[in-house]
Amino acid sequence: MPLRWLLLPLLLLAGCSKGPLADLQYIGEARSLASEWALVNEQAAEGKLTGAYVSAMHKSLRQQIRTAKAALTVPDSSYAHEMATLLATPDDAPPQVLRHHAERLKQFEDALESA
Amino acid sequence: MNPLELTLGIMTAVGGFVDISELVFAAKAGSKFGYALIWVFAVATVGIMVFGEMSGRVAAVAKQPVFNLMRHRLGLKLGLVTLFASLVANLITCAAEIGGVAMILNYLTGGSFRLMAIVGALALMASMWVLPFKWIERIYGLLGLFMIVFAVALVAIHPPWGQLAGGFVPQIPKGLSTKEMLIFAYFAVAIVSAVMFPYEAYFYSSGGIEEEWGPKDLPTNTITCTVGFGLGSLLSIAILASSAQLFTPANVDPQVLGSSALEVAIPFGAVGLVVALMGMLFAISGAAIETCMANAYSLSQFFGWEWGRHRKPWEAPRFTVAWACFFTVALLIILTGIDPMQLVEYAVLFSILVLPLTYLPLLLLAGDKSYMGQYANGSLGGILGWIYFVLISLAAVGALPLYFLTSGGQG
Repeated sequence: MPLRWLLLPLLLLAGCSKGPLADLQYIGEARSLASEWALVNEQAAEGKLTGAYVSAMHKSLRQQIRTAKAALTVPDSSYAHEMATLLATPDDAPPQVLRHHAERLKQFEDALESA
Repeated sequence: MNPLELTLGIMTAVGGFVDISELVFAAKAGSKFGYALIWVFAVATVGIMVFGEMSGRVAAVAKQPVFNLMRHRLGLKLGLVTLFASLVANLITCAAEIGGVAMILNYLTGGSFRLMAIVGALALMASMWVLPFKWIERIYGLLGLFMIVFAVALVAIHPPWGQLAGGFVPQIPKGLSTKEMLIFAYFAVAIVSAVMFPYEAYFYSSGGIEEEWGPKDLPTNTITCTVGFGLGSLLSIAILASSAQLFTPANVDPQVLGSSALEVAIPFGAVGLVVALMGMLFAISGAAIETCMANAYSLSQFFGWEWGRHRKPWEAPRFTVAWACFFTVALLIILTGIDPMQLVEYAVLFSILVLPLTYLPLLLLAGDKSYMGQYANGSLGGILGWIYFVLISLAAVGALPLYFLTSGGQG
């Protein structure tokens, strides 16, 4: 019973939070995933990875970005559009392009954190 | 003490130490906080050494499995609560490990995740059916030694050794915001849970009975736990340190299991990548089998059924049905489409909640002279055991609030 009482306000808090601040974690996730995608493509270009690994990583990273985007509480925001643009990028996009998306997401993150 | 047996035991403990949760949390911890969480791995490793040694000693001296003794020591009601809690924690962990096996097979072959989950689970079940206990333990433990490539990769990328060594000193990084402090605390709790997963002690203890340990095996037990677990933990620390060195500057906070393998691919290329993935595959496969068997052991021992892999599967039918059912349910959980990385979070969270409940009976039994005689906990073992019990109890109390306040460590 005490555990239930402890959980209740926490669950309520987690369930009620909405808006850009609540989206901060998903923006951070997408930013990190874009950076990871860039790192994978960079290493693949140097011939350091296998084809199966690269395509499986692309699939996993895309899936995670899709999940982060779907979790946004403000789906019409500029950061949601940035994530959509990132998802529209081809798997083998140059690392610089992917890092540019990561930087854009980082800017949103920084702006929200300082707000 | 047979030197060959001892060496094999230590190597098996090293190769079998790392599992999916350590891979995930070590890489994340390194990218988020640099070397600052290394000391938590070190502290938790001493904890699993303490409880692992106790569980082996209880098996060798009392010659009875822990769950059988637990029912007599704690009574049916409290025993049932403990049993249920550990069964659920191990089942979630087993599902996460099967998900990990499927992901690695997917990285290696390109086959679909669901197909790889089914193929991987069937292969593991077949090996559990065919192989005797010692071979199950040794094959997965020794092949898990491919994981040593992570330590070699760390040396190859020339980390700042001074800073890395400084990570072994208990610390909280300076200048963290409140939010970052909470995330740091969440990671500390998660690492303690991942290193001290309850299945490890129960599997190890039941293994002692399977191999018919006696008091003469106690020195081997002590050395295997301390040296084997200690060296195994260094592999987790190598993953953390490489992550700090390679991922932090690249702004990468590893979100998928395959990210860890990049730590080896960067210095060693495609060959290193494949070796790393093979190591991860066998380490995680071994953990999947251990969690599943730990559940079958616990259930059979509690209800007094015939149990053990030293018997043919049909000589211990309820034990065999139990591990086959647990494995099948774990596979079905993964086939629902749940993200294995999410499952890792739940496994770590649930395990820390039940950790005090599962380790308390072991602590009581190992200190009980009526069961253990002259081999009961000495003052050092007793004090360390109780210190760690308090530590994991505090971690258990803090786990849920930290999980919600930090959105599972994401901030």
